Amino acid sequence: MAACSRRLDKFIVSLRLLRNLQLQNERFLSTSVCRWAPGNDSEPPKFIPPSKPVIIDKTQAVATLRKFLSPEFIPPRQRTNPLKFSMERKDMIRRRKILNVPEFYPGSILAVSMADPNATGKINRFVGICIQRGGKGLGATFVLRNIINQQGVEICYELYNPRIQKIEVLKLEKRLDDNLMYLRDALPEYSTVDPDMKPVPFPPTGEVPLNELKVKMRPKPWSKRWERPKFNIQGIHFDLCLVPKQMEHAQKWAQPWQEYDMLKEYDTSKLEQQILSEVQQEMSK
Amino acid sequence: NFFSILKTTTWFEEHLTEDNQEYMRKTMAEEYRRQTAEKLNPLKDEPWQRHEWTEGSRRVGLVAVKLGMAPIWTKTGEKHAVTMLQVQDCHVIKCLPREEYDGHTAALVVGGKNVSPFHRSEHYMEMFRNAGVPPKQKITTFKVSDNAIIKPGTPLYAAHFRPGQYVDVTAKSIGKGFQGVMKRWGFKGQPASHGQTKTHRRPGASGPGGDPAKVFKGKKMPGRMGNIYVTAFGLKIWRVNTKYNVLYVNGSVPGHRNCVLKIRDTVLPTRGSTLLSPPFPTYFTEDEGDLAEDLYDDDLFIHTEPSLTLT
Repeated sequence: MAACSRRLDKFIVSLRLLRNLQLQNERFLSTSVCRWAPGNDSEPPKFIPPSKPVIIDKTQAVATLRKFLSPEFIPPRQRTNPLKFSMERKDMIRRRKILNVPEFYPGSILAVSMADPNATGKINRFVGICIQRGGKGLGATFVLRNIINQQGVEICYELYNPRIQKIEVLKLEKRLDDNLMYLRDALPEYSTVDPDMKPVPFPPTGEVPLNELKVKMRPKPWSKRWERPKFNIQGIHFDLCLVPKQMEHAQKWAQPWQEYDMLKEYDTSKLEQQILSEVQQEMSK
Repeated sequence: NFFSILKTTTWFEEHLTEDNQEYMRKTMAEEYRRQTAEKLNPLKDEPWQRHEWTEGSRRVGLVAVKLGMAPIWTKTGEKHAVTMLQVQDCHVIKCLPREEYDGHTAALVVGGKNVSPFHRSEHYMEMFRNAGVPPKQKITTFKVSDNAIIKPGTPLYAAHFRPGQYVDVTAKSIGKGFQGVMKRWGFKGQPASHGQTKTHRRPGASGPGGDPAKVFKGKKMPGRMGNIYVTAFGLKIWRVNTKYNVLYVNGSVPGHRNCVLKIRDTVLPTRGSTLLSPPFPTYFTEDEGDLAEDLYDDDLFIHTEPSLTLT
């Protein structure tokens, strides 16, 4: 299409033609672009070879256009020399240039391929729902949970482990909480993910879809007392498993003064913006 | 008779106006920069004779600051934890030849991490003035063989150590204050229940009994714990960053973050660095030429390489 820039009107006509000719896998063939103008009969038409077909492969993940900074880049509030964090960040960016780490949140479904000397074909693929993202800097981890053959399995992967070959996001979504450890005490249907699931396409711009699912729990006792306010869980359907009296009793452990504690405030907005611009600059080099 | 002496000590800012205080600070910073630059110029400041490495010679160490810890991975996929140590403004301050020091070995006094001169005594500042170097927070002596003495005022860099070498790191451990016997010496204490009256973390018996009829000297008892010099031996160096002068040292190191430590070549006989041929007596920038920004150990996985496929 870039070959014919001379005749603008013919260009527009050919564009309309091309739109009609669009195929399912969107191959743009510009053989019909350069139309021979009726006015100019002096020279025979020069052979202009058709431009190469542009194949847009929609199955491959597109880099996100949302302004997303992975939480492990934000340094914790410590009396450490910022040089240490900047050196770690450089190493993290070097690794991210080799391994594409996509944007994901706790609640998204991921598939991780890792090199394993004991696996068949040497590569181990695990599909699961991300229940927690922890750690800062190079030691950042995420935990994937799935139920395989009626057995719950949780694997904690290190993001910057060199044995990881590929991380794919099969379904990008957020949940009402950052920490989905309560799925251990929920009914198994909420943690099962089909290992052969096909990736669900999601747009690279716009808001990340929030799944406001309220999960049904197994009967008590649970591994942790999830109804207590310190966990601040929004994603459990408490009305089905707990009596209002139990909910009130749980509120005894509430610490309402913590939200007014000024020493616990840690405003990361400016730091985030600075680090995000730095990371985006380095990644584009 | 008791004489009360009028204390005339004051801090440097007390009798100065604000402009003068600022001026003092600025001039101090400029003076530091000028002094360090002077020392780097080999023409102005003639260096001493550099000798070759011989069997049994010991070379100088460094003074560094502990930055923090980070994970690293080897080429076989194993994870190790490393401590990052930054060599900030390390200079040789004084040379004590064999006769002056103890008659057997020569010694070099090395200092690290610049600090303001306003809160240090005149006596402390004297030796830095003689060396022509800004005052340092920590000064240590390194016992050195005669062929490894260096002129006072030469800067020391992290490239003095190479990846694959083993080092010993000495630092003051974190102070825990007055601690009981269970934390300080690891005693077992007593059970929490089953009739124990007011005895859960006490030391229990203090000796054999009637025969010695005394408590031996050095009996482990509660007391102040920590804030003593502790050495970690045989730590491998995985990586050296020459741009920021940072060493990546295996495992953990005594001391809190941003504390000043003393690093020297190992005394362990099985981890000698004879095979590596590190720079002797120290690393000079004009000698070696341009080293790469990062020097890595052979077994270390560098993040610019493709992912590991264990076959």
